[in-house]
Amino acid sequence: MVPVTNVGFVQGSWRRGADAITLDLEDGVVPASKAGARALVGDAVSVAGKGAAEVFVRVNKEFLVADVEASVWPGLAGIMLPKVESPEDVIEASDVLTSAERERGIEPGTLSIILLLESANAVFRVREIIAASERVSQVGLDESDLSASLGISSLSEYDPFVYARGRMAIEATAAGVQPIGIAHPLGTLPRLLSGDDMLKVATDSKNLGFKGIICPHPSWVSSVNTAFTPTESQVDFYTQVRDVFAQAIAAGTAAVPFAGRMIDVPVDEWAKVVIATSTACSLRDSEKQTALEAASA
Amino acid sequence: MADHVAVHRSGLTMPVVTPRFIDNAWRRGCDFINMDLEDSVPQHMKGYARTLIKDAIANVTKGGAEAFTRINHDLVLADLEGIIWPGLAKVNYPKAEYAEEIELLDRIISRLERERGIRPGTVEIGANIETSVGVANAYDIAAASPRVREFGGAGGYDMSRDLGVEMFVGFDQFVYGKGEVELAASALGLEPHTAPFTANTTGSVGDPDRAFREAEAARKCGFRVGGGLHPNVVEPQTRGFTPTHEEVDEAQQVLEQYRQLEVSGETWSDTDGKIIDRYEAARARKLLEWSELCAARDQEKAEAAARVEAAGA
Repeated sequence: MVPVTNVGFVQGSWRRGADAITLDLEDGVVPASKAGARALVGDAVSVAGKGAAEVFVRVNKEFLVADVEASVWPGLAGIMLPKVESPEDVIEASDVLTSAERERGIEPGTLSIILLLESANAVFRVREIIAASERVSQVGLDESDLSASLGISSLSEYDPFVYARGRMAIEATAAGVQPIGIAHPLGTLPRLLSGDDMLKVATDSKNLGFKGIICPHPSWVSSVNTAFTPTESQVDFYTQVRDVFAQAIAAGTAAVPFAGRMIDVPVDEWAKVVIATSTACSLRDSEKQTALEAASA
Repeated sequence: MADHVAVHRSGLTMPVVTPRFIDNAWRRGCDFINMDLEDSVPQHMKGYARTLIKDAIANVTKGGAEAFTRINHDLVLADLEGIIWPGLAKVNYPKAEYAEEIELLDRIISRLERERGIRPGTVEIGANIETSVGVANAYDIAAASPRVREFGGAGGYDMSRDLGVEMFVGFDQFVYGKGEVELAASALGLEPHTAPFTANTTGSVGDPDRAFREAEAARKCGFRVGGGLHPNVVEPQTRGFTPTHEEVDEAQQVLEQYRQLEVSGETWSDTDGKIIDRYEAARARKLLEWSELCAARDQEKAEAAARVEAAGA
């Protein structure tokens, strides 16, 4: 996440190795600079995409039309829509994107929407909010704003969002949309951690069911990428699982003990997912590497 | 709503196609045996597997265990036709996601009970929640048939795959789903089948000490339903879900003190920091009832096993 008005950050963003870059027109830009910020988006979209990251723009809910018009340029993957409260908010944003696609000759339905839930109401209505548009690809909690909305003072010792995070992960997964977010305490108290600690929190996030993390600082990116990529030892383990399971099937059973665990169909299915994810991550990494080298040359 | 409390402290899920598991099942001392047609049976053996259930029911119940069968999510009609025979207590339906699925199961089971001379309503449905869609629809699923009496899930390998997470990572990944499922079960007056989180970072299915700690923690949180995959966990689960002698003694004392309280016209008393009131009395009464049900169940199983031994002698 990069404020579009910070020219230095925008210029450096494509070298950070992130899978996606969101250019912020909202809370990262002071009200007096909003109009000027819009004028910067077009160039920023092409700069941010030089390393093969997908590029999004976080728009202001109250300046939706102006912000979308300023953002829809070639290379834009979609918008991040904050402070969503109702299905109507999502439908409105989708309609604005539809108009912009038509005006700019973009294939209809191309632009996606990342939703940010920032209130108790939004968390409660998450199912209908997600279902409001086919464009919704990801949904996240803005835990800082949610804390403010609920009157919570954040403490690292106490996780106030066990339920909200769990509800979002379940409802998003049930709807076929990716939940994104980070485990406690970095959701309410984002800060810089040492490599190992950052990797631990990012790995916990993955193991809560999240599919990615919005990084407020470039130092998070590398740990997050590592956490969401299957490790070599996981790939080895699940490759063995697949072999052991195939032998068991040939011997007439689909339940076989291995490494103290019981391997059956869902474990073999998960093994396929881990191996396929590993391959997809390698492809994405080499795609980014190639783009980075081409742009640096 | 359950008209009686079942005693399902321990049970083994086993592939029905593995004869040595099925033949020895009655010796394990379980409260139930769950014969699997689903994830432990290879795809090419599904048709054969369901033909084994009718005879296996008599085999696995010899030691007093109840016979359950886990069917395949996508082979409902064929599986039910193959397994609904006298003696089957429960059909476990995996990856339940919609109330309509349970309603369909109920209709087919009702017809088969009628056709096969089984008292209507005998066969229970275990609607197992194993996906995020299932969690999202938990209440409707649990409410879909009076045959659903125990209700739980929201963890395990299928749930993990659905959420895209590794298991055994040492923290409570499924707390929301388990909470939703427990809430739905309790709201409908069903027996919640869940447990508090106890870390398992190895994925071991056969550790007796762990099994005991889990079962004891579950019982202390008010849960009563167990089950596992390995014979080593049967006895520890049975023990962990059964009140101890000390707890029974203490509950009797609480009830005695509460009776004295009622005589004196007081509503509560405080003896050395221990409160006696009608909530504590209700808790003690529930523990004693459960203890008696467990004892009766243990005696039933002991008598059944003795009959087999006598017949074999």
